[in-house]
Amino acid sequence: MSAALFCLGVLAVLTRRNAVNVLMGIELILNSANLNMVAFSRYGAGNLYGQLFAVFVIVIAAAEVAVALAIVLTMYRLRRTPNLDVADILRG
Amino acid sequence: MDEVARSLRSFLPETTLTLGLLLVVLADAFRVPARAAVCRWLTLVTLAASLGFTLRYSGPWGETWSGMLVQDPLAALLKVVMLAAALLIVLAFQRARELAGLGLGEFYALLLGVTLANLLLATSNDLAMLYLSLEMVSITSYVMVAYIKGDRLSNEASLKYVLFGAVSTGAMLYGLSLLYGLTGTTSLPEIRAFLAAGVTDQTRFAVYLITLLILAGFGFKTAMVPFHFWCPDVYEGAPTPVTAFLSVAPKAAGFGILLRFFFSGLSYPQAGAGGLAGAINWPLTLAILSAATMTLGNVAALTQTNMKRLLAYSSIAHAGYILMGVVALSELGLRALLIYLLAYLFMNLGAFLVVTLVHADLGSFDLRDYPGLYRRAPLLTLAMAIFLLSLIGIPPMVGFLGKLYLFAALLQKAATLADGRMLYTLAVIGAINAAIAAYYYVRVIRAMFIDESDAERPPLKLELADQAWLVVLMIANVVPILGWTYVEAWTRASTLWPGK
Repeated sequence: MSAALFCLGVLAVLTRRNAVNVLMGIELILNSANLNMVAFSRYGAGNLYGQLFAVFVIVIAAAEVAVALAIVLTMYRLRRTPNLDVADILRG
Repeated sequence: MDEVARSLRSFLPETTLTLGLLLVVLADAFRVPARAAVCRWLTLVTLAASLGFTLRYSGPWGETWSGMLVQDPLAALLKVVMLAAALLIVLAFQRARELAGLGLGEFYALLLGVTLANLLLATSNDLAMLYLSLEMVSITSYVMVAYIKGDRLSNEASLKYVLFGAVSTGAMLYGLSLLYGLTGTTSLPEIRAFLAAGVTDQTRFAVYLITLLILAGFGFKTAMVPFHFWCPDVYEGAPTPVTAFLSVAPKAAGFGILLRFFFSGLSYPQAGAGGLAGAINWPLTLAILSAATMTLGNVAALTQTNMKRLLAYSSIAHAGYILMGVVALSELGLRALLIYLLAYLFMNLGAFLVVTLVHADLGSFDLRDYPGLYRRAPLLTLAMAIFLLSLIGIPPMVGFLGKLYLFAALLQKAATLADGRMLYTLAVIGAINAAIAAYYYVRVIRAMFIDESDAERPPLKLELADQAWLVVLMIANVVPILGWTYVEAWTRASTLWPGK
């Protein structure tokens, strides 16, 4: 289940051209890891480290997305499009 | 209670940084004219105090905060490198044209934030702490790269940085969650104990795959091939002081955690701190990555004409060299890595300082604007020549010392192995790469000294402070080789705390 989520997330990141969709893909990756943590904590390891870790990851994910969205917003102001293909000044 | 008191004592540098960070944010909120100067001084005092506490602390070493962090001489040395990098950025990079006219209070706050996260990353001893501090470094540096809001380059650089960073740390997190599922613990020493208790071939294969996922995160932080794609774009687009800082401090932290992960997480404890043979053949994987990293970095740098981009590719190549120290997985390799990071701090910050000063004068990062620089600014040119020669690894400079130790570590390790061919091959590849690197560094030196410029430009005037910092960095590039025995003794004590 979590492996499927992880693969979906990676796929979304690789194929989507809209910055917001890519960010959603990243969220999927993080949540697949969370699912792993909680499941292992409940059924495998028998301790609470995993659940604790998952709580931290949720917080980090929120912070990361806030920063990423701010950057995407600035890009939208500068270029009037959320399409990632236009960001190509830096190359070589 | 006793442990909390002990932990607090060893946590003094980090506490100082946290307090300083809060004070800078507070000071920045007041609308007084001297705001910028106050923030700058607060930052300087905080960093200096933190550096002082780090230098004065001399044990006891061991785990703190119930095993979340670990204090050892290795971490203490890395902290010195990271704090010194932040200090030099605040002190020497004042004249950066890109940051002129922007409110710098937030910049200083972010710088302190990254430094705090760097220190935590270098001392983390637990998967959760590792992930948290790595993300803290990343998120704060995304904001630093995006600091020039209206600039398309800065924005594009940060966009690439944030997307690439989020995916690689996401992959790392997935690896960490699997590692937790496999071992049932998040503490690095306990993972090591689990592996040491004996593992089946199946588990060994699983650990191997998991480590490849985790390497994505470390590779992203240290700009290691194949996770280097962000590096040239981000280095070119970010404001130069930020580029200079990112090329040294988070890299040092990344290598610190890489070392800790491989030494204290994934190797048999019976073998002792040095000469570890892991549960799996890590050196081969790391050797391939190291060879690929330096070759790609150097070859790509050959054709660059933008100085920031050239230095970006050169920093990828240097990450490859530094990785040689991890490949050796020995005591000497560890020391070589530290010495190289120390050398890299001075030579790379120096090179970026010169690039900043030229940009402050001409508004250009293009190598085509460097010809004739010798006549316009002799001191600047001499300084750049010394930094570049140091980056090549020419004997009187500190860069030579770093390379000497790295190759020595690799060859010493190869001699102790029954089959050292892999390490010898890596050493040969490293030597060939050093020769390739010499070509493009010398190209810059030639442009400055020999090539005639077609446009006649007035002499480049440097302020006294800039000259002073150039001289300080020049001296820092030459002196360590004279005080070689001191460096030797200093790093000899810097072994890893051997774990439980």
